[in-house]
Amino acid sequence: MEPILEVKDLTKKFPQQGKGDFLAVDHISFRLDRGETLGVVGESGSGKTTLAKLVCRLTEPTKGSIRLWGQDITKAKGKQLRKTYQNIQMVFQDPVSSFDPRQTLGAGIGEYLRNAGIAKGEVQARVTKLLEQCGLEAEFARRYPHEVSGGQCQRAAIARALAVKPEILICDEATSALDVTVQRQIMELLWQLRDSQGISYLFICHNLALVQAFCHRVLVMRQGKIVEEGTADEVILHPKTEYARILADSVMETELLVGEP
Amino acid sequence: MEVAGARKKKAWKDRRKCRLVLFLFLTFALLFVVIFAERFCPYDPNLQDMSRSLQPPSLAHPAGTDRFGRDMLSRILIGLKTSVASALTLVVIITVTGTAAGVICGFCGGILDSAVMRMADVCLAFPGLVIAMAIAALLNGGITSAVIALAAVSWPKYARIARSRTLTLKSADFIAAARLAGSSSAQIILGHILPNSLGPILVTAVLDIGAMLMELAGLSFLGLGAQPPTAELGNMMSGGRSMLQTYPWVVIGPGIGIFIAVVIFNLLGDAVGECLDPRGRQEKPGNYINRKGENP
Ligand SMILES: Nc1ncnc2c1ncn2[C@@H]1O[C@H](COP(=O)(O)OP(=O)(O)OP(=O)(O)O)[C@@H](O)[C@H]1O
Ligand SMILES: [Mg+2]
Repeated sequence: MEPILEVKDLTKKFPQQGKGDFLAVDHISFRLDRGETLGVVGESGSGKTTLAKLVCRLTEPTKGSIRLWGQDITKAKGKQLRKTYQNIQMVFQDPVSSFDPRQTLGAGIGEYLRNAGIAKGEVQARVTKLLEQCGLEAEFARRYPHEVSGGQCQRAAIARALAVKPEILICDEATSALDVTVQRQIMELLWQLRDSQGISYLFICHNLALVQAFCHRVLVMRQGKIVEEGTADEVILHPKTEYARILADSVMETELLVGEP
Repeated sequence: MEVAGARKKKAWKDRRKCRLVLFLFLTFALLFVVIFAERFCPYDPNLQDMSRSLQPPSLAHPAGTDRFGRDMLSRILIGLKTSVASALTLVVIITVTGTAAGVICGFCGGILDSAVMRMADVCLAFPGLVIAMAIAALLNGGITSAVIALAAVSWPKYARIARSRTLTLKSADFIAAARLAGSSSAQIILGHILPNSLGPILVTAVLDIGAMLMELAGLSFLGLGAQPPTAELGNMMSGGRSMLQTYPWVVIGPGIGIFIAVVIFNLLGDAVGECLDPRGRQEKPGNYINRKGENP
């Protein structure tokens, strides 16, 4: 299969006061095939969010390259970057803070549509359709981010990311802030989108049970490096490193709570 | 307990709202008087009549007359108009320029940011009024040059506030989301950064109206602002200061005018600040108990 996304030697150094630079992402390389779901697991602070933001070009990489459909987007700017965002979208870890507190959810989704060249009169109908696709009533378009629950806000965030029909969706712990039932609803939504639209996911999560159920392949990150890589079953059921084994222990505890695909 | 607390909070909030409404009303009343000042004037403020000079307050001239026999009440009203109008112009100028500079610097960073912010630091390090006096003296006098001089030294405060808000907002997830939406930097600044930083800036601006009114009157008093025969409260006080002991109404009248205007604008500023202050919103009874619990 052809890789839709190819990342090579991606590195991000944050300058630290006093001490030397802090390597948040350390020479990471991976590829994502079309329709594939790649899980990224790792403890808190291992650089998962930084990696996701690097791939979307929301932070500037220190080194390395990102290729989308074979085209280098590492230095993309302005128009090219905006075009890239028609293909790559991201769902943030904290849904509420990913919406402007002074705008309604509908306005936030509308911004994506208007920039994508949808006519003004058509925007509202499209917003309604997107919200319904994610299981929210049209009425939610008029609500402010602080007026909806975390799960509803996350659905709106997913609806927003889907507005431009991306080929790659990066989910940064899209379900971590939510309780188990809502988590399950969101996962069902993501599943359904994968089946119906063939979206490829970069699925960041620290819940290995979810990862095992949802992902084809898994990267295990620790301190900015990939320490283990393989199919979901390999990594979770037969971990090669001690670190992956410790992470895998959490599966047993939460297995029962997660639905089957 | 909870219900009582909530009710108390609501009452407190209502009182704040009442204050705001009251002071807004006073401000509008003041603005009304100022805008239609000419209609309220009993006499032509520039009409000289030496035979009636320096008359004490009477029914015909409620605030007396000045050295040239001009009606003080008319001159105070027109002077108030000059003062308030120039103070409002000044505040609008510094709010717009300071905010624009701060937001652009904060958003773009780099050399531009360092250069502009060092300039702001220099302005803030010196006593502003002294520099303003120097600038006003260099320009050729008149109320316009006083406004320009004060604008030149007063914008950094707004630039600072706008810049720090912008820096905080810039790293927020919703700005990243706007980037993913394909919005340009200009769209992000106008659509997300400005609306989210306007609150504290507006409060500062309203609070500043009173201060600016005083500083403009101060410059005029020193002869660096409005020049006679223009009626302006500062230069009217300055013109009459030698007669303070013999004909006090010539100075006291304009003084009361400045006093009333400044007090109204300051009270409005405080009320607006109270209503918009995020600390006010967090002050729930629960928080209070928590804080006490931590700190017995
Ligand atoms: N802008 C920044 N400046 C400096 N250091 C940063 C910055 N962003 C992240 N870091 C550091 O990089 C490391 C990785 O952070 P990151 O947010 O990617 O972790 P994460 O794997 O997403 O963690 P979590 O599971 O808690 O979300 C952390 O140690 C963090 O302190
Ligand atoms: Mg994270």
